[in-house]
Amino acid sequence: MAETPPRDPAKPEAERLRSPGRRNLLLGLGAVGGGAVVGALAGNAAAAEKPGPVADGAKARQPVYGRHQSGVATPRPAAAMIASFDVLATTKDELRDLFRGLTERVAFLMQGGTPPSLDPKFPPADSGVLGPTVTPHDLTVTVAVGASLFDGRFGLAGLKPRHLETMHAFPNDALVADECHGDLLLQICSDSPEANVHALRDVVKHFPSQLMLRWKQDGFAPPQALATPAGTGRNLLGFKDGTVNPDPLDPAAMERVVWVQDGQGEPAWAVGGSYQAVRLIRHFVEAWDRTALQEQENIFGRDKATGAPLGMKREHDEPDFAKDPKGERVPLTAHMRLANPRTKGEPAHRLFRRPFNYSRGITKAAQMDMGLIFICFQADLAAGFITVQNRLNGEPLEEYVKPFGGGYFFVLPGVPDKSRYLGQPLLEA
Amino acid sequence: MAWKPWQIGGAVAVVVVAAGLGVYFGTGDEGGPTPAANPSASGGAAAAPAPIEVAVTDKACEPETLTVPAGKVSFRIVNKSQRALEWEILKGVMVVDERENIAPGFTARLTTTLEPGTYGITCGLLSNPKGTLTVTGGAPAAAKPSVLDLVGPIAEYKVYVTGEVEALAKDTEAFTAAVKAGKLDEAKALYAPARVHYERIEPIAELFSDLDAAIDSRADDHEKKEADPGFTGFHRIEYGLFARNSTEGLAPFADKLVADVADLQKRIATLAIPPNKMVGGAADLIEEVASSKISGEEDRYSHTDLWDFQANLDGAEKIVDLLRPLTRKADPALSDRIDKNFATVDKILAKYRAEAGGFETYDKLTPEDRKALQGPVTALAEDLARLSGTLGIS
Repeated sequence: MAETPPRDPAKPEAERLRSPGRRNLLLGLGAVGGGAVVGALAGNAAAAEKPGPVADGAKARQPVYGRHQSGVATPRPAAAMIASFDVLATTKDELRDLFRGLTERVAFLMQGGTPPSLDPKFPPADSGVLGPTVTPHDLTVTVAVGASLFDGRFGLAGLKPRHLETMHAFPNDALVADECHGDLLLQICSDSPEANVHALRDVVKHFPSQLMLRWKQDGFAPPQALATPAGTGRNLLGFKDGTVNPDPLDPAAMERVVWVQDGQGEPAWAVGGSYQAVRLIRHFVEAWDRTALQEQENIFGRDKATGAPLGMKREHDEPDFAKDPKGERVPLTAHMRLANPRTKGEPAHRLFRRPFNYSRGITKAAQMDMGLIFICFQADLAAGFITVQNRLNGEPLEEYVKPFGGGYFFVLPGVPDKSRYLGQPLLEA
Repeated sequence: MAWKPWQIGGAVAVVVVAAGLGVYFGTGDEGGPTPAANPSASGGAAAAPAPIEVAVTDKACEPETLTVPAGKVSFRIVNKSQRALEWEILKGVMVVDERENIAPGFTARLTTTLEPGTYGITCGLLSNPKGTLTVTGGAPAAAKPSVLDLVGPIAEYKVYVTGEVEALAKDTEAFTAAVKAGKLDEAKALYAPARVHYERIEPIAELFSDLDAAIDSRADDHEKKEADPGFTGFHRIEYGLFARNSTEGLAPFADKLVADVADLQKRIATLAIPPNKMVGGAADLIEEVASSKISGEEDRYSHTDLWDFQANLDGAEKIVDLLRPLTRKADPALSDRIDKNFATVDKILAKYRAEAGGFETYDKLTPEDRKALQGPVTALAEDLARLSGTLGIS
């Protein structure tokens, strides 16, 4: 992976920005902000772009255009907001307007720029949360659609991705209808919660008659560094989460695991998209903190401190379950063992996890309401999340976790350039 | 909740538990005698403290007095006598630990855990004078119960669980009969008393997660809430009786509840209760209280939460009672604190006992008492979570 060239303090900023580093190219083009820049990004520069935060704080940005949307194979930043909407548009034309407009807003928010100043007798054009100039903060706004968008309203019924369905409850779930499903999902990620709030408010303000918020959840995570191998973040149970994950910076792995390909039996418009499973999972942290360490480790099958499989030394050591058929080292019911039994023919990865932690208020019983926004992407929802979750049904971890929300969505393929819009192949199919 | 239950043949279950307890405790033995010429063969436990060497001659131990710190201690016994011997550590006439059948010229290793005090050690022939072993205090390892110490409590707990399940089956019959007969008031009156048996043994019942969901799930557990076809059991009937004020349409749920309870009774009959499930059960019951009973979310239609609250406490106190002698020995301060907090909670709840038996409805609980319960309940959850570790149970 290429990295940001070392800073040369003697070089003027403008010259540095013109240097051929791919990210700097993007940065240079975007430096003046605004819509004109977006056009310049179309085509080659964007196509060559790879995801990854640049080390330039608030000005860092992620590519808007390309084969895939940003925010999936993008290293996970510190802050996330998941917002699900009901679409209020009633016709296919209105839906097209919505997606066109949304594409423009997403491009502006991800690129940054200066919102127009208006006559102060009017409400301002921008919330101002990020100041008079909108800085991108590595923002990604990833747009996905739910199964309900393919009902009778827009004449899209025949175009639904084949595995897209309304998430059903698994045995340990206690789904809250008000925090499930939705026609449209925005996964907003950046290095700053304010940038996420800013983005959401921008979208909500721009589409008052077309979108209605259905549920949302803020999340946070230890950010993944760009060049160094991504350290695995920990969930709020204190365990490393995502050890066995394909490398998001390995395009071949992402093509294999995450992105829908030709020949998968999916509608043509869906190629380059991805199934996204979102699960809001409360963790009973008081009870967990009162659980013996050895039980905690047996539940996950990993050493809490190092993340190594039980009986091994390092996080990425691969356990040989064939040599532990009775579960004397890693219990048969351990989370890591059920999720990936490492049997012959089992693929190395069925899905790519990109979760965030959440923490919100308290329950009526004065217990902390916190847990995980589980998010995973895969090219085949049935062979991915649904298969893995079915294996986990009944696991001992269930005593300490309660999934209550989320849904299944389909991440639209990327927008190749500024002349196109998100969802265009679907709406013009 | 969803562990695979330990189903072992019916009546012998308790015996099997006793035989199987070795699995849950370290035995301290590290293998049989080894030739004196090759003492390193008795190694193996790298983490064990350096062994104290004791030679046994035909006449005495060398040395005759030993002093060791309390806790885990390792002895290397060298048989320098002419005959095979057994070496014992004695407290009065009781054998604390021993190593048998050490052949002449051979060495054996004995690792054991000792509490502070003065012990005797045997030195070959019984006519030989006994040596003295002084175990000094300081930081004694917590006195872990021996295998046999837990057999009694577990057997008694199994009797308690069995009795509660029997009562559950009987009271559920009466309750559902009233439901099916359309006797609304009688059914309402029988609802809470039937449930308490379930609530007392909830950690055991929850070992069967399919039945737990069928018998005791709440509307929250289902996406379509009360209208969800998966919503069955006590709370579904409670919803009909108290929220809709009618027995109409409840007969199928009544029949299913009776069948599920009968299934539970059958499964528990053949269940060997592992020590960690019994000991951990006390904490599980208090977690139930802390997470849902204290907030009145359990019985939201009938508001009989305080019945369940007390039943969870009863179930936890039963376990604590059975283990008290062991807990007291291992950590008297912990034992006192647990007893004191139970007493506080019981005392507050007692204010809400109804004249006709049972409890007032949850809405009568004052905000002050609700708060006064929170502290002791949370402290109990923390303390009971330490019980297994205190008793050395994995």
